[in-house]
Amino acid sequence: MLLAYKLAFASPRVRAAGIESSAFPALADRMEVYAVPRIVVDGVPQWDGAVPERVFVDRVLTPSFE
Amino acid sequence: MAIFRPEDEARVRELFAELERPVELLVAHGPEQMPQHGARDIDFGAETERVVRELAELSPSVSVRVEEEPDGFERYPAVAVLPDGQDVGVRYYGLPWGYELGSLIGAVLEAGRAASSLSPETIERLAALERDVAIDVFVTPT
Repeated sequence: MLLAYKLAFASPRVRAAGIESSAFPALADRMEVYAVPRIVVDGVPQWDGAVPERVFVDRVLTPSFE
Repeated sequence: MAIFRPEDEARVRELFAELERPVELLVAHGPEQMPQHGARDIDFGAETERVVRELAELSPSVSVRVEEEPDGFERYPAVAVLPDGQDVGVRYYGLPWGYELGSLIGAVLEAGRAASSLSPETIERLAALERDVAIDVFVTPT
């Protein structure tokens, strides 16, 4: 989550939200959150799990798989 | 109940002493969703505000503002981390508890830095970004 926040602090083009799944179960269901962290870009689930900065940036800036 | 053990509190104070600019934490209250079974006894909004206020007490550079349904929030409770009082689109939705309290502390530290801690390569790629990107990271508090 911190990486997403860092990107938002560094770019006016990026916004980042951490969402605590148990407080928003309906939304978490809709995003099919079964494992965390689940990363969703522009409303589309992308992947689960922590990855290094370079990989995170690659995936977030060029979302290509669902 | 205090949110930090004394040794953790001392550590966070130390980290916050290095903030290079003020950071404001905006707590947004509003209508909350029905929480998961078993979590219904927790007042998420009140707890969130309590945690954030305790966090802000650890540094004169960290301040708190509380608002009812401010613009720019999709759900409640929420915390926005504002470097120098500016909303740059950083939100935490829900109660920042357990591991996620660490994420919030990390966000305050990054917001308080004069320069990003990201790599020069990442900064370069962000500068070349020509569209808006919204990242949501779903977590659980444990």
